[in-house]
Amino acid sequence: MRGLFIIMLPGAILAGGAFLVYLLARLLRLSNKVEAIITVIILVSTLLTLVFIYIDFPSLVDNPDAIFGMREAGGIVYQVNALGIFILMVGVIIGIMVTLYSGEYLSKDPRFLLYYPLILLTLSGLFGIFMSNNLFNIFLLTEFVTVTASALIAFRFYQEIAIKAGFKYLIMSSIGTMMMLLGIYFVFRSTGSMHLFETLSAPDTYSRVGAAAFLLGFSLKAGVVPLHTWVPDVYGHAPSAISGLLAGVVSKSMLFLMPVICLRLGMSRIELGAYLMVFACLNMLVGAIRMLRQPLLRRFLSFSSIGQTGYLMFGLGIGLYYGLDQAIAAALFLFLIIAVMKSLAFLSAGIYEFYYGTQNVDHLSGIGLIMKIPGIATSIALAGLAGIPLLAGFTGKWLIFSAAFAAGDIFANICLVIFLISSVISLGGYLPAIVKQYLPTEDSLFSGSLDRNKTRQSKWMLIPIISLSILVVIIGLFPAPWLNLVAYIVEWIRI
Amino acid sequence: MDIFQILLPGITLIPVIGVVILLIWRGAKKVQAAEVGIASEGLAFIIALVLLWALRKNGEVVFTLSWIPNMAISFRLTLNWLSITFLLTELLVTLAAMIYSLGEKTGEKMSNFYYALLLLFSLGMSGTTLAEDAFVFYIFWELMLLASVLLILIWGHGKNRDKVALKYFIITHLGSLMVLVCLITLYVNVGSANISTWVVKAQSLSPNMQAFLILFFIIGFSVKMAIFPLHIWLPDAHTVAPMPVTIILAAAMLSMGTYGILRFPYALFSLESIMPFAIWMMIAGLISEVYGSLMALAENDIKRIIAYSSVSQMGYILFGLGTLTLRGMQGSIMHVVYHAIVKALLFMVVGIIIKLTNERNIKNIGGLAGKYKVLCVCAAIGALGISGMPPLGIFNSEWMIFAGGFDSGISVVLTVLTLIGSLLTVVYALRFFGMVFLGNIKTKTLSEKAPRALLIPTVAVSAFLIFEGLVPGPLLSWAMKGLAIIFGGDL
Repeated sequence: MRGLFIIMLPGAILAGGAFLVYLLARLLRLSNKVEAIITVIILVSTLLTLVFIYIDFPSLVDNPDAIFGMREAGGIVYQVNALGIFILMVGVIIGIMVTLYSGEYLSKDPRFLLYYPLILLTLSGLFGIFMSNNLFNIFLLTEFVTVTASALIAFRFYQEIAIKAGFKYLIMSSIGTMMMLLGIYFVFRSTGSMHLFETLSAPDTYSRVGAAAFLLGFSLKAGVVPLHTWVPDVYGHAPSAISGLLAGVVSKSMLFLMPVICLRLGMSRIELGAYLMVFACLNMLVGAIRMLRQPLLRRFLSFSSIGQTGYLMFGLGIGLYYGLDQAIAAALFLFLIIAVMKSLAFLSAGIYEFYYGTQNVDHLSGIGLIMKIPGIATSIALAGLAGIPLLAGFTGKWLIFSAAFAAGDIFANICLVIFLISSVISLGGYLPAIVKQYLPTEDSLFSGSLDRNKTRQSKWMLIPIISLSILVVIIGLFPAPWLNLVAYIVEWIRI
Repeated sequence: MDIFQILLPGITLIPVIGVVILLIWRGAKKVQAAEVGIASEGLAFIIALVLLWALRKNGEVVFTLSWIPNMAISFRLTLNWLSITFLLTELLVTLAAMIYSLGEKTGEKMSNFYYALLLLFSLGMSGTTLAEDAFVFYIFWELMLLASVLLILIWGHGKNRDKVALKYFIITHLGSLMVLVCLITLYVNVGSANISTWVVKAQSLSPNMQAFLILFFIIGFSVKMAIFPLHIWLPDAHTVAPMPVTIILAAAMLSMGTYGILRFPYALFSLESIMPFAIWMMIAGLISEVYGSLMALAENDIKRIIAYSSVSQMGYILFGLGTLTLRGMQGSIMHVVYHAIVKALLFMVVGIIIKLTNERNIKNIGGLAGKYKVLCVCAAIGALGISGMPPLGIFNSEWMIFAGGFDSGISVVLTVLTLIGSLLTVVYALRFFGMVFLGNIKTKTLSEKAPRALLIPTVAVSAFLIFEGLVPGPLLSWAMKGLAIIFGGDL
């Protein structure tokens, strides 16, 4: 192995940090909170190295010397990928919030030792997937992320439902990764190489079939309708913090791997774009319709997550189909804000569950009057997701809208109409959810005296949700710097 | 940048400051919260009056602040002769409603939030009238909706208020989305969200595109105006909302739809391209007018009677716009103002009646004239006002609208029908007045005196109505100058 080590540094910090945290916690019998703090320190240093790489883009991206690994046949090469750096930055920021939050969230759990290392490993796997140029390596790391994620999902193994959710995720994701393995077989048969550089040159039928297999694999992992059935069960029953991380970052990032890999394997931009746009419509509709009248808060958020996957696919699809960089930028911006808003929603929903042991919307009605800050945070997250002006979601909606209009043909317009319809339908889900927090019904836990039920919430939980809420508002009020960031990333993306 | 340009954003900034104060001041009593609210709204109104003077000098006041340069969006406000009419109406109505609130029960709990939301509601409307940037326009447009939904939701009457609020939100939001589609289409085609740069480019779009945009704009704004059959949100929302909110909804917010139609399709596209839609607007206006009046006649709930009369009155306005003549449109703008005053007056009267009798069914109320003389006079002025009796304002505007109808040459039959339809207004207005104030007293529990806090604003509004009706000159010239801005001074 040789090359520029800085490329690997974030991944190395994450993976090494995972072992470090585990060892320290094990040997020194650290408490949950201390372990969380150490994890946060590791994540912050990862973020710093990512920022260094970001500043160094001009000398790192597309530079044949700036690689890490072996370029010989069968070797593994890591190379800086602008898209990957961006997604990792978002992932690490959300990771920091989730970790801080878990400092209190896990306080009732007997077993917290492995939790933080698993979060770090999941992120390091994600880093590897985006930076690697070897298909087999990508497959291995995807499988790796699947395993760590399902361990996190089933983290409360003493609950039967958590085991079920973890198992479901493991099985479904394994099917996805098996599809990728199948894809590798076809690609290898066609090109004799698993290297993404070399496969680029000579696409034939086999490699195209391989690309299709990869596409299916990623679709499953991203929760593209009709392969979305695992989503509500998993996000509904995993620890809420983990749902936030998975729904906000990990599974959505899989969508961005589609163009990175499938285009290099000979799939055309038009094909991939059309695929994304058609299935985006399905996702948006299914997400919006199933969202209505969901009694369980996190199940409701899961379906809205399926809808948001659709929005991302829509932006990405337009960008590829019509060759519009502005749409790719819109999709990246959406990725950022959805990560923030979705994790915020899951985290604050988790607070309700943590203190009152239920996520039933009717039982929780009126909770906003008792838990002021989580109530406001949930309202901001949901209003943001609904695209209410002055919050981040509206800017995203406006960008996607204008990208679709810029495309301007009948296909884009039909998808746009579906986008509009589903955004209206989803309002019927978001608004009652926001409102119910402030209007206690008869089933409410709090219908009697409100004061009696007042509970102090832990600062460990409040700080992440307050910072995420502020982020949603700031991105909404001042989108310009974030748009510049995204535009800069798009300049460096080569897909 | 002169003093007026600095003052202009004050109309939007001062309510924001008021809102912040109210949000911080948690323990504020209702009177204190009201003072903050009224003070900031009043200050905004005074600024608008000062700017009126600037307008006489310069003809236009513009304020620009860079906001999202990479999306070609800036915080841009413009005050001109068109927006000032709507702005002053809206500010005055909100001010009256805020004062009226003092005599009402509404907002006794969480009064700081109540006045903060009223301020935001008004801010949404002032922003809508002033915004010169499509992005900013839409933000204010939605703020107006959101604030009113929350007001209905939190302080509304009845158990099903959440359903009503949701219905109101979703239906009007659908209209807003149609507007948003148009705004973004134009934004993408022009490459800037600055509305003043749109005019040239909009007219060079393909005819099909123009037709599509005009249609969507008109339908989208008609939802806000509650034109039949897009009115279904109105009766419930108006009935469930607390009275001060109903006053703002009916008297000020409905007319924002009118402003939108003038501001976008009429200002951006040539009259020839709007022509194919004119007759449909007139027909929709006529149907709305008749339908609203008939429903008002059939209703027994006094609040719903007045609510349906809004549907009917908005019909006149759309009819006037549809004539595409100077007189018709002038009449429509004037009708917006007069309707605002009359509707505010009528709802204030209804509020007092409900307060006195605890009864909303018109069949159970009667003979109030003997006991409440002042109220009776105010109600009479309102009822006569809405039926278009000279010299009360609406007579002037209806005259203009019908004159426009005959002028346009599109369809004389429609104009005659509208003219005849206006008789229905007289019928329901007199039925309302007659059943409530004449005849025998039917309710047992009657309060001794009409509450003064409610009566004073009501009397003030009645006096203002008479004044406006007698002195229509300034309004006429504002409407004229406003239309000159839209049509580039060639009318």
